[in-house]
Amino acid sequence: MGFRLVAPADPRTAVELLRSPPSPPALPLTGGTDLLLDIDDGRADPATVVSLRRLPWRDMRWDGPALEIGSTAPLARLEDDDRIGRELPGLLAGVQAVGSRALRERATVGGNLGRASPASDLIPVLLALDAEVSTVGPRGGRVVPVAALVLGPRRTALEPGELIRSIRIPEPRPSAYVWQRVRPANDISQVGVAVAWSAHAGRWSVAVGGTSPTPVRLPDAEAELSGARPDAARIAAAAATAARTAPFPSDRRASEEHRRRVLAVLFGRALAAAVGARP
Amino acid sequence: MSRTDAAIKLAGAAPYGPDLDAPSMLWGALVLAPVAHARIRSIDLDPARRIPGVIAAGPDEVARLFPKPADPERPVFPVDDVVYRGQPVAAVAAPTRAAARAAARAVRLDLEPLPIVGDLDAVAAEGSAPDPAFTNVHVHARTGDVEGAFAAAPLVVEETYRTAGIAQVAIEPHACLVTPEGGGFHVHTTTQSPFGVRDDLAAVLGLPEPSIRVEGTWVGGGFGGKAAALIEPYAVVLAAVADAPVKLTLTYREEFLLGRSTLPARVRIASAVDGQRIVGRRVELVLDTGASLPGRDFATGYAIGFLVGPYRIPNVELEGWGVRTHKPPFGPHRAPFASQCAFIAESHMDEIARRSGVDPIDLRLDHALREGDTTVLGQPVGPFGLVAALERARERRARWRTPGVDGHGIGVGCGFWSTMTGAGGEAVVRIADDGVTIVEVEREIGSGSVIGGLAAVAARTLGLPVAAVRVEPGDTVTAPYDAGVYGSRTVGALGRAVAEAAESLRATLERRWGAGAGRLTLGVRSGRLVAVRGPDERPVGSLLTPAERAAGGLAATGRHTGRSGSIDERRVVTGAFYAYTDFTAAVQLAEVDVDRATGQVRVVRVAAFHDTGVTVDPAGARAQVEGGVAMGLGTALTEETLWAADGRLLNPGLLDYRIPTQAEVPPIEVDLIEGFAGAGPFGAKGMGEPPIIPTAAAVANAVADATGVRIHELPLTAERVARALMPP
Amino acid sequence: MSEPWTASVNGAPVVADPPDDERLLDTLRWRLGLRGTKEGCRTGDCGACTVLVGGRPTLACLVLTRELEAPEIRTIEGVAHDPTGRAVVAAFSAEDALQCGYCTPGFVMALTGLLADPRGRPSTDRLLAGLQGNLCRCTGYAAIVRAVERAREGGR
Repeated sequence: MGFRLVAPADPRTAVELLRSPPSPPALPLTGGTDLLLDIDDGRADPATVVSLRRLPWRDMRWDGPALEIGSTAPLARLEDDDRIGRELPGLLAGVQAVGSRALRERATVGGNLGRASPASDLIPVLLALDAEVSTVGPRGGRVVPVAALVLGPRRTALEPGELIRSIRIPEPRPSAYVWQRVRPANDISQVGVAVAWSAHAGRWSVAVGGTSPTPVRLPDAEAELSGARPDAARIAAAAATAARTAPFPSDRRASEEHRRRVLAVLFGRALAAAVGARP
Repeated sequence: MSRTDAAIKLAGAAPYGPDLDAPSMLWGALVLAPVAHARIRSIDLDPARRIPGVIAAGPDEVARLFPKPADPERPVFPVDDVVYRGQPVAAVAAPTRAAARAAARAVRLDLEPLPIVGDLDAVAAEGSAPDPAFTNVHVHARTGDVEGAFAAAPLVVEETYRTAGIAQVAIEPHACLVTPEGGGFHVHTTTQSPFGVRDDLAAVLGLPEPSIRVEGTWVGGGFGGKAAALIEPYAVVLAAVADAPVKLTLTYREEFLLGRSTLPARVRIASAVDGQRIVGRRVELVLDTGASLPGRDFATGYAIGFLVGPYRIPNVELEGWGVRTHKPPFGPHRAPFASQCAFIAESHMDEIARRSGVDPIDLRLDHALREGDTTVLGQPVGPFGLVAALERARERRARWRTPGVDGHGIGVGCGFWSTMTGAGGEAVVRIADDGVTIVEVEREIGSGSVIGGLAAVAARTLGLPVAAVRVEPGDTVTAPYDAGVYGSRTVGALGRAVAEAAESLRATLERRWGAGAGRLTLGVRSGRLVAVRGPDERPVGSLLTPAERAAGGLAATGRHTGRSGSIDERRVVTGAFYAYTDFTAAVQLAEVDVDRATGQVRVVRVAAFHDTGVTVDPAGARAQVEGGVAMGLGTALTEETLWAADGRLLNPGLLDYRIPTQAEVPPIEVDLIEGFAGAGPFGAKGMGEPPIIPTAAAVANAVADATGVRIHELPLTAERVARALMPP
Repeated sequence: MSEPWTASVNGAPVVADPPDDERLLDTLRWRLGLRGTKEGCRTGDCGACTVLVGGRPTLACLVLTRELEAPEIRTIEGVAHDPTGRAVVAAFSAEDALQCGYCTPGFVMALTGLLADPRGRPSTDRLLAGLQGNLCRCTGYAAIVRAVERAREGGR
């Protein structure tokens, strides 16, 4: 009951405070939209909460073609960025899918990744964009692809005390994120599909959310797509493969069968949106 | 611009239950049972009491402090068995909310698990009567020759439907502040019925009614969930143990767990059809009434009539059972179970229309009850605007259809309601130079029926502008008795009391001035009230005695005593059925767009045709229609409480129990029909509930129209629709 | 943290000493006596607790008070001190865009924050998109949409 709140200005201090044995009595706080709910539910009971608000990770910058997002930048900042809307439309769609606008004033990409929810709207998009994270931790820092970072609900490859510093998206891509949920807004997605075309690599990437234990890329479906503008037959074949191979669970939000059916439909819509989004 | 409470609410200055505060108050918290059915071996409150400042109460404290409950069937805390998951078994209070929560978690329960009846199917197999050991109520009525009608009919349409449980989801949680006072208790609470709370507390705790003073607050949404005492008994017990004020606010999760709303149901409905006439109807309703006490349910006997609907159908058999399961008790949610009945009966009507080759609206017009007909239970039908509403719906449908949009569907839904004037009430109305004041006990719950509707009734009776009337809410000591703000009865019942009092005032002033009968009118001059007799005017105050002026005005009490029609009891085989006090028609049209691939239903627009009798408060009536339709859309498409077999509620929160957001509510065309008098003053009909009744029916029929497929379950989630559309 | 917490609330300086685990919602309501901001779900789903922090709509139930360093906070009690806020209040009043009124402060604050977008007055669609996190159970939103349109016009 009750915790101490500290807000170090230096990442190394934050790392030190957070690296404890496997049941840490200290937890990191960014937007608070997940951690505070966990504390209220009794799912987390930290003695110390380490706020990351003073760390210099709240900004975004373009580094040539790449976009580097500070892990504690509020999602609203991404939502309002015109260049993201133009060059990474899938990312904009993923951001806008998260909660409500007021929630997005506090929620962060780092927090969303750290939570690693299978229903996350951001993770499929980051997977499709081949995003990587930079971390700082007790053993220094490293770069981890998002695909290797997210392991399961609330489980990441981060070591105790290791924090995401930034997220890097290598290049602008025609992209889209399309989802199915009960309500059009302020809801959790049952199925989300992100697609992105890399002209540089000459291939599509496809990632899906609402899968278990994490959102995943769908390499079999990707293999069916070739060329920047696949024809209807290819799209249908890839959609069927995606629906067949995506590891969906059944839960109270939707059955596995419904999710597969929905993915088969959303797949084509996502591709159409991404193709239509090309400059 | 008509709501007189807008200013205070927009300033953030209206105190609601959760805002209540008193010096040195303790915060209460409930200890909830973690399983749905168990024998209570022991409750150990000591670990909680070891936390500094904590007091605790369980059955022993209740027995010690309140040894004479008048209603032993309703103990404050269960003594022997837990009967639903989340049932409060003890309560604690502490100087801070966090300490109270910690104290509640510290209480140790020793429970022996017992077998759990999780759902109605466990005690009511399809095709046979439910297990009597789990039957709370059984109602059965019959008229005509049902067997004969079904045997002879060329067409029998028989279907089974299921409907889901619904949560109230007022944005404001239940909250109260109880202060020991003068040998009794001052209970300050968010409620639809201060006298209801007082009487419930008196019964449950065995206290004399005058020792309990109940005062309402502004209410942040009731919908039936605040129509009776819920958390007040716990707060009173805690206040008695602490001998200090105790504030108790439910967490939102507790709002869901404690329930008291609609629960799931299964209905078998069959019609005998001859050509284009329905010549017989059979209905079997199995309603999950949760952990309700036997014999106390009214919903089954009241709602079952809506499974016939507002139609002339001979040869009818109605049979219904309220069954007991280990869920929280069934409670009234806006037009209790009527939306679900309308969905079932109206889907069934469309099915009959389809199978017999009749237009769905024509079928309804052919069978619609009109004034002078009798209901299935033999009650004469009063003035009823159903035919007028259906005719307008038919015109609107024709306009919507041209140009029709490919893939869209249009559906109609009908229902009816009765202004619940069965329970009585009193109001005091006072008149002075500075205006008219209504003194009554009810607080404004949101519909405007108290601060707007009652004022409009007084104004209309006295021939004054509404701005000259204000409502001054009292409490159960300072204001006269009224049954409560529910059942669409405020204007109809309490309004009648107001009208009687107001008319009595006018007649008194008339007599005093020697005016002939009906010769005195009232007016406003520079903000002051005047009496007018012919060419002469004088201040109202000049007709009052000095004592009356000192007391704030001339006062009169008006009373409405419960009234209702009667049914033909010979048609009743067993159980309690209810007569209607008036007949309020509700017809809605919905246009939908169905994504056949994903099953997602989007409602494009709704037209609502409502029978108001006389529209006493036009802005309020429109607001009730808009709000009721939105709630109905939730019932239609997204709202369902999800239950596990072990009685666990799987979605006790707003994330997975989805009420409509703004994006899901389409434009609503509102059409108010006057001229068919109801039970209220001037012939007004209650408008709080009718608007929620036909919405799910209209949406379901529209979905069937769009897809050619009928879904027999509520809500029409995308998954259900998609599955129904899959090729066989 | 034992230093005092300072803020500007509705234009006035405030000093308080909330514990580290206290939410802004509870500081406002119980420490500062500003109960116009409502307690609803406390899980960030209903929007009833929306206030403005630095001009931005914020869910007070999901923010630790101590997370905010010298914040500028505006609540329903102070919204009329600002022309945009006054226009919103006038619009809600003119359109009777409330019934029970419990969700109303949250809507008013959210709309005021959205209208003050530094990039220019948003379209009605964008305003409504920004309000999807505010739930209402009474009005069916129709009158609220009318109030949004009217407020966008400047409360005329």
